[in-house]
Amino acid sequence: MNYKKIIGIYIAISIGILSLSSCQKVIDINLNSAAPVIIIEGNISNQPGPYTVQLSKTVNFSEANTFPQVTGASVTIADNAGNSDILTETSPGIYKTNTLQGVVGRTYSITVTAEGKSYQASANMPSPVSIDTLVEHISTGFGGGPGEINISVIAIYTDPAVIENYYRFIETINGIEVKTFSVSSDQLRDGEIMDERMRGNRDLKLEIGDTANVQLQSIDKGVYNYFRTFNQSSGGGMNSSSPANPTSNISNGALGYFSAYSVTSKTIVIQ
Amino acid sequence: MKQKSIRNKFKIVTTIFLLFSNSIFLTAQTSPTKNKFTISGYVKDGKTGEELIGATVVIKELTATGVSTNAYGFFSITLPEGNYTVSSQFLGYEAKVTQVALTQNTKLDFILSEKQHNLEEIVVTEERKDENITKNQMGVEKLDIQQIKNIPVLFGEKDVLKTLQLLPGVKSAGEGNSGFYVRGGSADQNLILLDEATVYNASHLMGFFSVFNSDAIKDVTLYKGSQPADFGGRLASVLDIKMNDGNSKSFVVNGGVGLISSRLNIEGPIVKDKGSFIISARRTYADLFLKLSSDSLARQARLFFYDVNAKVNYRINDKNRIFLSGYFGKDVLGLGTTLGINWGNATGTFRWNHLFSEKLFSNTSLIFTNYDYKINVNFGGTQIDIISRIQDYSIKQDFQYFATTRNKLKFGFNSTYHKIIPGAITVTSNSPIGKLNLPNKYALENALYASDEIKLTEKLNFEYGLRLNSFSLIGPGNISNYNTNGEAIDTINYTSGQFVKTYYSLQPRISTSFIINEKSSVKAAYNRNEQNLHLLSNSTSGNPTDLWIPSSNNVKPELCDQISLGYFRNFKENTFEFSSEIYYKNMQNQIDYKNFAQLNFNENVESQLLFGKGRAYGIEFFLKKKYGKLNGWIGYTLSRTEKKIDGINNGSWYVAKQDRTHDIAIVAIYELTKKWTISATWVYYTGNAVTFPSGKYMVSGQVQYYYTERNGYRMPTYHRMDIGATYQAKKTEKFESSWNFSVYNVYGRENAYTITFQQDPNDPTKTQAVQTSLFRWIPSVTYNFKF
Repeated sequence: MNYKKIIGIYIAISIGILSLSSCQKVIDINLNSAAPVIIIEGNISNQPGPYTVQLSKTVNFSEANTFPQVTGASVTIADNAGNSDILTETSPGIYKTNTLQGVVGRTYSITVTAEGKSYQASANMPSPVSIDTLVEHISTGFGGGPGEINISVIAIYTDPAVIENYYRFIETINGIEVKTFSVSSDQLRDGEIMDERMRGNRDLKLEIGDTANVQLQSIDKGVYNYFRTFNQSSGGGMNSSSPANPTSNISNGALGYFSAYSVTSKTIVIQ
Repeated sequence: MKQKSIRNKFKIVTTIFLLFSNSIFLTAQTSPTKNKFTISGYVKDGKTGEELIGATVVIKELTATGVSTNAYGFFSITLPEGNYTVSSQFLGYEAKVTQVALTQNTKLDFILSEKQHNLEEIVVTEERKDENITKNQMGVEKLDIQQIKNIPVLFGEKDVLKTLQLLPGVKSAGEGNSGFYVRGGSADQNLILLDEATVYNASHLMGFFSVFNSDAIKDVTLYKGSQPADFGGRLASVLDIKMNDGNSKSFVVNGGVGLISSRLNIEGPIVKDKGSFIISARRTYADLFLKLSSDSLARQARLFFYDVNAKVNYRINDKNRIFLSGYFGKDVLGLGTTLGINWGNATGTFRWNHLFSEKLFSNTSLIFTNYDYKINVNFGGTQIDIISRIQDYSIKQDFQYFATTRNKLKFGFNSTYHKIIPGAITVTSNSPIGKLNLPNKYALENALYASDEIKLTEKLNFEYGLRLNSFSLIGPGNISNYNTNGEAIDTINYTSGQFVKTYYSLQPRISTSFIINEKSSVKAAYNRNEQNLHLLSNSTSGNPTDLWIPSSNNVKPELCDQISLGYFRNFKENTFEFSSEIYYKNMQNQIDYKNFAQLNFNENVESQLLFGKGRAYGIEFFLKKKYGKLNGWIGYTLSRTEKKIDGINNGSWYVAKQDRTHDIAIVAIYELTKKWTISATWVYYTGNAVTFPSGKYMVSGQVQYYYTERNGYRMPTYHRMDIGATYQAKKTEKFESSWNFSVYNVYGRENAYTITFQQDPNDPTKTQAVQTSLFRWIPSVTYNFKF
């Protein structure tokens, strides 16, 4: 349970009550334009490759959501066992490994050179943790209208004691991945049996008969911090008086992340 | 560098002590051949018996010989033997004059009666001295409690904190918010005292109401510039609020019934003219309207607050008087059985006034204050209980020595034990049970002060003082040091009562005034303030869960040096008061937060902070019309507040959240007829500094915003007009009633409360900015009665 959520709920209620006498409208706001910045999104796992690195750039706020790809870059991933792989650009902005295989316990580093600048990141691939079981959870109330039922899936897993563990969850409903970044850590509950409720998505609601798959990724602290701060960064508003860019594990001012993860998964059919 | 500052400090100290010894020397020197005697006593309201604070007592035969009553209505003047005409006056009261043949120490009480409102009356101007010009203090605002009731406010609940925000140099923390910023200071840099007890959270209901019930309040003084040496502990200001003592003549009941809240106040004598009591209570009932809502979520909601002020006092004899006062308030916010959040303050003050002699007044106070919040959450079988609190236990001893008519000394000490429980969390669930107790923090704060107010010549006044403060963080506890990444590098265990870290500070306070002529004066002040308790708040508006932390090995005391200069000028027989003050503040050890700082429930919260310096400067203009059918004021402030903190905006200066370039407030109250008084206020200010995105990008199919700098943007300009009308329905000796009508934001300006960014719901390839505005055309009506 994330205690930050409680504050979130307090704020949500406050806003709810305020909204009884408030009004919202879309406004024109004159935002500065910023020089484009590179976004690096790279993953390597203990599953068979190839692994993908995607390079793109920022656009001004007022522009459409079409993000330019960064082509012609040099991308290399190496591990601490002496293996190295120069990635091949298979389509604009998409770079794939050729020979590298992710191994649990190794540290991976990435070097990207694009448009005259060079960026580095490294991440450690922790040992996998398996999901003990998936259970269905039925709730009413929050978010739903009167009498509306929400079905969600809770992943139960056992946290290995003593070591620091960080997790990322990916829920897939009927083959479609839910686009949220759900992460957790064992900071307050080291070595305990953990439960994490998959929050789903407004557009992807679970119904009886659906198939839900949950992937449990073990990630390192730097990657965890990226996704944790990514979630806090989106939206803005009352939550934080000073939103900022998510804390990236990549050097030299690049946005995005480089993750090395080990993964386990389980599937459930909603009844 | 360090040596230089020590040398400077030494210089300041020696100068002050030279001045002190000088003043004692003056005192000694002026003893003439004639015998000297003291006139002392109290100035009181004739109807209620309440002592009047700051009433003046003047000797007609001796120009420039006048004193004002202290916080307990006491005055003392020492004069050579002779015959004198002594008069006392207070704003809104008829002056009183008495002849005194001074051949021995004389006790003299003034009983003043309130001026009867009379439209035809031409205000007597003959002997009105204007304190605005002659008083030494600058950067001081005193609120007229009687005037507050005519100023229109949100929901019709008259409020001292909201009225203060209409004064120059004092700014509202946001729409309808009772939080305030003084001269570029943040909200936690205001010391808010209720009968000497610190109020840690002065807001009810998300800040839309203050915790101060104006029925129970006698005097409100805000020191935004030079704080007297007897106050300390916050950087920006002291808001000193004193509760009524209660009517010592007769039983009085008054109250008010409003749309969302009601008030009741009962006061009366315990023993006539010797002791009295007052109890004042309020409760809101906005939640009752929620029950009528069609929305099931709103129907389950609980949302109200209540508060009670109570005070008793008893005059044992001419030399001894005791007071016991207290405040208790609670906010309740909840949703069915799912969620409950309660928070509130409790304060208690016991005071003993003692006259050692006609010239030496003493007050001893024992003070307790508590602020806490409790949260209960229950989702799907998991129950979470959180409790957090801050408590102070203080003893305070103040002496006032009325040495001569030209010289008044104040000295004393106070000692406070702070106890902070940052958060204890209990999780009860079907399966695992978790528990997290953040370690408690303990601190001891001691202060010793002395100050002297002296009239060097008829035109030149000085007040100078020194406050010596020590603050110690004490055990038990594990205290960590952090590296630049915010990781604990070493942790030391301290046992109970062991001193972890002690900070000492010398805080000089000097102010001077030079009276150019009857109509104008110039004033200047310098003071240094220190703050050892810091509020961590990362939300746009304050939350009840904001955390207070003490200075420690990682967090150094905040320091502020302020210099200010003022020009004061009165026009038309003192009907108009004009003043202008400029100030410059240099602040050290200011706190800001790392990106994504985790402030709540984090044992290593100090690792989330960044430190640097701050500066604030500005000019304030104030024009006030005090008398006549039309009265009110215009205030304008032009200011800038900046911070420079390693780790934010590449370590360059950036504007603080509370920076406001322009701030204008106009207040007008017009007595239309004997029964009708109408009023209007208009405020205009530059929007807060905020962080908005300058670009966007996509990660795993999610659009994220790209930020380039902190506080690089501004919210839109804020402006609003409120109007009000008061109708005096009935006024007899036995019963009085009035109706108060007001409309908040009368021209319906959509002021931005928040601006958020989101995907365009009609075109997913686009993003948009959405502005939320709160209150437009909020009408209210209140019925007030008194019998």
